[in-house]
Amino acid sequence: MTAYLNTRVSLYSGRLWQPADFDAVLAIPDAEMADALGSRGLPQLSAGFDRHQDHRSLEQRIIAELLDETTVLIRPLTGAARAFLLYWTVRFEVSNVKTLLRGKMTGERPAALIHRLTPMGAFGRLDVQDLAHAEDLAELLRRLEAGPYAGIVRQARRAFEEGQDPFILDAALDRGYYEGLARRAQPLENEAGASFRRLMGTLIDRINLVWMLRYRFNYNLPPAQVYYLLVASRYNLPSSRLRELAALGSAEAVLDALPEPLRGILRDAAGIADVFARMEMNGAEVAAKVLHSGAPAISRAFAYLILRERDLRSVRAILRGRHLDLPTEDIRLAMFQPEAFPAVAPTH
Amino acid sequence: MFRAEPLVRIRLLMLASEAPDAALELARFGVFSPAAHTPPELAESLADPYREAWLDAESRVSKLVERCGNMGELVIPEGAAAPTLADLDELNAWLKGVWNTCLSAHEGEARIQEEIRHLDALEETLTKLERLNVDLAQLLRADGLLAVNIGSLPAGSVRRVAEALAMTGSLVTTFDQVGGQAYAVIAGPRDRHDEVRGLLSQAGWRELPVPPELRIHPQAARAWLAEERKRVEDMNVRECAAMDNLRGQYRSGLEEARLRVALGRPLAEAAMVGVRGRGGLAGLAGWVPRRRVEALKSALEERFRGRYWLAIETPRREEAAQVPSLVRYPIWLQPFVPLVKSYGVPRYGEFDPTLPFALTYLLLFGAMFGDIGHGAVILLLAASLYKKLGKLAWIGVAAGAVSMLFGLLYGSIFGYEDILHPLWMSPLHHPTQMLTLAVSFGVGFIILTLLVNARNQYTAGHVHEALFDSTGLAGLLFYLGAVGGVVSLAGGADLATPSWILAGIGITIVALFKWIETRASLGERVLVTSIETLETGINLFANTLSFMRVAAFSLNHVALALAVFTLANGMGTAGHWLTIVLGNVVIIVLEGGIVAIQALRLMYYEGFSRFFSGDGTEFVPLKLAGVK
Repeated sequence: MTAYLNTRVSLYSGRLWQPADFDAVLAIPDAEMADALGSRGLPQLSAGFDRHQDHRSLEQRIIAELLDETTVLIRPLTGAARAFLLYWTVRFEVSNVKTLLRGKMTGERPAALIHRLTPMGAFGRLDVQDLAHAEDLAELLRRLEAGPYAGIVRQARRAFEEGQDPFILDAALDRGYYEGLARRAQPLENEAGASFRRLMGTLIDRINLVWMLRYRFNYNLPPAQVYYLLVASRYNLPSSRLRELAALGSAEAVLDALPEPLRGILRDAAGIADVFARMEMNGAEVAAKVLHSGAPAISRAFAYLILRERDLRSVRAILRGRHLDLPTEDIRLAMFQPEAFPAVAPTH
Repeated sequence: MFRAEPLVRIRLLMLASEAPDAALELARFGVFSPAAHTPPELAESLADPYREAWLDAESRVSKLVERCGNMGELVIPEGAAAPTLADLDELNAWLKGVWNTCLSAHEGEARIQEEIRHLDALEETLTKLERLNVDLAQLLRADGLLAVNIGSLPAGSVRRVAEALAMTGSLVTTFDQVGGQAYAVIAGPRDRHDEVRGLLSQAGWRELPVPPELRIHPQAARAWLAEERKRVEDMNVRECAAMDNLRGQYRSGLEEARLRVALGRPLAEAAMVGVRGRGGLAGLAGWVPRRRVEALKSALEERFRGRYWLAIETPRREEAAQVPSLVRYPIWLQPFVPLVKSYGVPRYGEFDPTLPFALTYLLLFGAMFGDIGHGAVILLLAASLYKKLGKLAWIGVAAGAVSMLFGLLYGSIFGYEDILHPLWMSPLHHPTQMLTLAVSFGVGFIILTLLVNARNQYTAGHVHEALFDSTGLAGLLFYLGAVGGVVSLAGGADLATPSWILAGIGITIVALFKWIETRASLGERVLVTSIETLETGINLFANTLSFMRVAAFSLNHVALALAVFTLANGMGTAGHWLTIVLGNVVIIVLEGGIVAIQALRLMYYEGFSRFFSGDGTEFVPLKLAGVK
């Protein structure tokens, strides 16, 4: 099964885009776009391509593409590795949970709300029809708490009941999700070793640092509260270091106090978006190294999914940019920005 | 029984205001399966708002019925009309009001239960605080330098909260854990208390309000707690009475709501497929059995008195893939239907294999597991589990009976071969004959599947495939020739030359067909043709030999019994009979299970895969829910 997964990942890695592919797609006329996407391993985006398709539909197709590939990669896996990759897809459903919650806050109609959700196919565990028809937020939260994501939702509900602040709800859901991811990664870090740990490290460190900067200096939350909202970490930025960083008085001081190699990577970073982009670039480099190394199959599969998602986010930026008739340079700037898939790059 | 009923497509055009009633009438009719139909002149998705309102109403009624307990079976009166969109909107407004009233009452109940739990926790806490020997009055002073909180938080968060609070100079001490909640005292400098409160609100902290009595005299708190408990229990009684009152008050309204939701269901379900319309007109499309068309016309005429337009079309051959399959089975055959459908639904016009499947499956099972005793056990077991297994038990009963029949033919009862004289032959004593028979059966079975496939291909309009493909008549020619050749070689007939000529003609036709059908470069064409032609021969040969397992399992059955007897004969009287009983149980469970799977495997892979596409669509009619 390991050989099968390794072969599968190697075959899939041929689908990853090179810079020339992005340049080509940026330059080609609309009439050739469907073929260009299809020939570059994006059948879901190619089928029924329409320059003017709405943003939601594009997002849904991209996620469908990712879920299709994840389905294939999960097939030969069992145990902790399977549980981890399955949970990796849960963030799309957490994003659906957020959409449902926001929809209920604004009194959106169930049909419109359901239309905005990402179809999860075989990965879906939520009864979205039932949830969308909850009368209000309180009922929705209670229903969610009786469902598969009770662990993630319970604390979010209590926090929300105390503060009635949508931000707290989002933050608690994201934190709950990533805590779960880190927990499921732990046995694999022992089994698959350093390669898997490096991948998780770049992911969790990035999330923690970006959240910390945002909560601390954009939302002006006190250090203790910021620290509490971060994901318990055992990587380059362990919890003890996060406590020290959260207590610092400015973003510059935080970046200066980072350990190497993060300090070098983020030297002279211009704002939180730049911090995200640089750390994500670093994560992509690490993932590319793991993918092309002799690392265990699960590490290579995870690395592939990270890189694939990054590619698809850039493709999405290109398609949206063209839909909005933006200049090519603006599209290029948007290609690796953080506001991509919810829960990967938090929107709150 | 061998093929789906002939269906016709109907397109019904009516006044949009009568669409709910039209859908209801079609649901009452019982055999209308809606289908998508989007003519350009009917461009609007007319029933979408209706479906949306219906879903809201259905969701609310379900929630309310769940709260009200059993409301009994819903009876839909004969002439009841379907609700309009305005009716549904009105119903939704009423249901929303009722739900909010019930919800606040229900939440009142929940709050009381929570308060009771809270009092329990408080009582426990008080016991612990008394033991702490702390001057709580001093500790909880509002004007002290120290801010103190007593309360609970999720046990899994304690460590994280303690780490975060340490950043504010506060300390966390847990003193109890009940379920997933940890009870703790948090103390820290008062000037940073706001920070602490902000953090605690995110951590799911629940303050335990320590009553003023406790701060003065701990024993007084006991009396206070008893008073509180009485007050809460009184409240509980009042809330329960209020809920009962609400149930009584809204019950008849809810019955009416259930009825309206049931009457609105047909159009809401049809809207999922698509009810198109424009202006004041609405169009419904779908499939009905041809034999019921006249009855449908009468029903529509009686209900709508000419205020409709009905078009009836017979599906064209090339449309077969879109037409659902409606097959009626006699009651005794119905238990086998799920086994066939687990492979696939027969395509419209395709040969339905359920009857041959049932007969052949039972025959194979009996031949592989022929034993009067074992068959009787299976039969009785299946019959006794009838209530649990439902119709599926019938398969067990039938399999047991056939096993008993073969047991008579083989002269086998609980593995004993010397009690009864075989009516036909004992597999153990005639293995070659059994193998020959099994393979002969396989040949017959494969010939049948090739014929059925040729017929299916022809019906679907694939005439070339029916005549020239490896699973069509050319494949059959090759197979018949090859079988004749092999039989002649074995000395069973003197038809070698004509047989091989027949086989040669058959395989040549297959090869030519593959050559013509392959659209590729010359090299690839040669490769594909030669490999696929070779595969034709190998597959048919392997599939035929696959039936040898029927004989092998019938021998295996006797061999297993012999092994049990050998073991039993080496023991004393008690051990002997214990081994016989346990051995027979193992044979029934283990071998019976394997044989059941092998028979299914033979049917699926040697049979269905050759002729049964199984990619049809099931005929799902609109139905009225809740009719007695």
